Amino acid sequence: MSEYAKASDYDKVEKQFEYLDHTADVQIHSWGKTVEEAFEHACLGMFNYMTDVDGVLPRKTVEITAEGTDYLSLLYHFMDEFLFLSCTDDYFMARQIEILEFDKEKWKIRARGYGEDFERARHGGKGTEVKAITYSAMKVLPEADKTDIFVIIDI
Amino acid sequence: MGRSFDEELQYLERKTDYCWTIKKGFVPNMQVEGAFYVNSHLEKLMLEELRNSCRGGIGGFLPGVKQIANVAALPGIVKNSIGLPDVHSGYGFAIGNMAAFDMDDPESIVSPGGVGFDINCGVRLIRTNLDETDVTPVKEQLCQSLFDHIPVGVGSKGVIPMQAKDLNEALEMGVDWSLREGYAWAEDKEHCEEYGRLLQADPSKVSAKAKKRGLPQLGTLGAGNHYAEIQVVDEIFDKHAANKMGIDHKGQVCVMVHCGSRGLGHQVATDALVAMEKAMARDKIIVNDRQLACAHIKSAEGQDYLKGMFAAGNYAWVNRSSMTFLTRQAFGKVFNCPPDDLDMQLIYDVSHNIAKVEEHMVNGKQKTLLVHRKGSTRAFPPHHPLIPVDYQLTGQPVLIGGTMGTCSYVLTGTQHGMDTTFGTTCHGAGRALSRAKSRRNLDYQEVLDKLAEKGISIRVASPKLVMEEAPESYKDVTEVVNTCHEAGISKKAIKLRPIAVIKG
Repeated sequence: MSEYAKASDYDKVEKQFEYLDHTADVQIHSWGKTVEEAFEHACLGMFNYMTDVDGVLPRKTVEITAEGTDYLSLLYHFMDEFLFLSCTDDYFMARQIEILEFDKEKWKIRARGYGEDFERARHGGKGTEVKAITYSAMKVLPEADKTDIFVIIDI
Repeated sequence: MGRSFDEELQYLERKTDYCWTIKKGFVPNMQVEGAFYVNSHLEKLMLEELRNSCRGGIGGFLPGVKQIANVAALPGIVKNSIGLPDVHSGYGFAIGNMAAFDMDDPESIVSPGGVGFDINCGVRLIRTNLDETDVTPVKEQLCQSLFDHIPVGVGSKGVIPMQAKDLNEALEMGVDWSLREGYAWAEDKEHCEEYGRLLQADPSKVSAKAKKRGLPQLGTLGAGNHYAEIQVVDEIFDKHAANKMGIDHKGQVCVMVHCGSRGLGHQVATDALVAMEKAMARDKIIVNDRQLACAHIKSAEGQDYLKGMFAAGNYAWVNRSSMTFLTRQAFGKVFNCPPDDLDMQLIYDVSHNIAKVEEHMVNGKQKTLLVHRKGSTRAFPPHHPLIPVDYQLTGQPVLIGGTMGTCSYVLTGTQHGMDTTFGTTCHGAGRALSRAKSRRNLDYQEVLDKLAEKGISIRVASPKLVMEEAPESYKDVTEVVNTCHEAGISKKAIKLRPIAVIKG
């Protein structure tokens, strides 16, 4: 491990999200100057529930594409693609999400996740599994200079 | 919607001490009335959820009472949309919501939200012939042994070897697969809802993505509110029923396992929601809430979902069987004898997130209904043909898991429940505090200390979860169970208290 960087060598992850009260599950509220930023941080909020993202090193890059028919379904599929990566194969955890393309007419996203595979010793015990993304009370609210997103994830 | 809390209250009426009606008009398009079972204490929590939602503001979510009403607006619904005493806000359907649809009505729908993402999340109870005095000297060792045998937490993988071909067979055969492979005892099948296998399951209706999520997770406990507990019989309310279950004295040791279909079930539900959104647009089905995505039962999407959902249900039974196998091994190791000698028989296994085709009497006529039970449990009465021979006189056992560190219950089904709620009762405590609030207000060490004070050993894979899962975050399961008992929809038989908890 000594030849690799440590989590403390990196700046703390920029977190533009918070967790709001919901009786059974977790409601993520994310924001950004642009819609892309709000989308990215909604996804990061999901990863931060599985483990502490500050403890995730940027050792691996993954790329996903997602499609939808409107903002809501696009957000759903975007987050679901990353959720799928987190619970299959190598159990990928992201510390940063970057949207490369966001087509607001065809409702398509191409995005990258920077992070690494889940390692029990370093990432374990710091969060819990996310079962699914839900449409429950989902809101994407784009304004001129700020976007807010509300999305409930099933724990 | 813009109504004030008082205006909303006009649509709610207390019918009896334990039952409220939700009148048509509470939400648009209600086909039938809604109903919910609460006692005076639980009623406060229900109404508080409604009051908070009337305050408005951004964010927020629909209160359980509105969700019950939205379900009452679905095409083909029969009799009532019913909330059980543990009801609280979920997605689409409330958690603790039962709704039945007439299979003969072409408009009738099936809705994945009425089953839940964790298809066939359920509970099973395994007895032993051990007494608390046998277990106390080796309690820590036993707790550790269970924790070592059962994979739990984020990133955990199943220890039972599985290839893709095995998975397909497991999806089709359910408990029959576990039996064939030697992970289950023959008697386990007899004491399981549906005998552990939904016959119309079709593995080809489960997507590759779902299978990919499910393959490494078979035999894992998962996280969230799932657990394995070593419990001790604390009180016997119905001696006759308890005896039929092999429970004959206080202090008798049992093991309760609570888990579901893991990532596979979640993916099946997700995939169905996507397909049904398109079907709804095509068939012009209108619902009050997007998460109530549904399809006509007889449509391709409806049939595909049912067959895939049944396969996911079978997966959950294989999962619980695997965990039973691992539990028996763990006990056998610590007590240095074969699990047979410990009489570790399965008392019963129930599902609390599922939809089934069942025969019920409606207005004096026998009808075939698709009964959705989300966060609610089937509770069939004595003499029902679908329950095991052993329980013909006592009624079907219903297993109600309490929350971490609180007691659990075994109930039995009643004829009154069959008549009023299509044989449905509660499933557990139901949450009271949000996870965020729990994490803010409860201290991790305090929660653990409280458990230690009660003499409960605990092994948790996700410590963050400890506050969120603390008993204070949940409604009182005793209140919930007592309400069901007083309302006559199920009868108390046994109360159990935990002495060790394994959580994801």
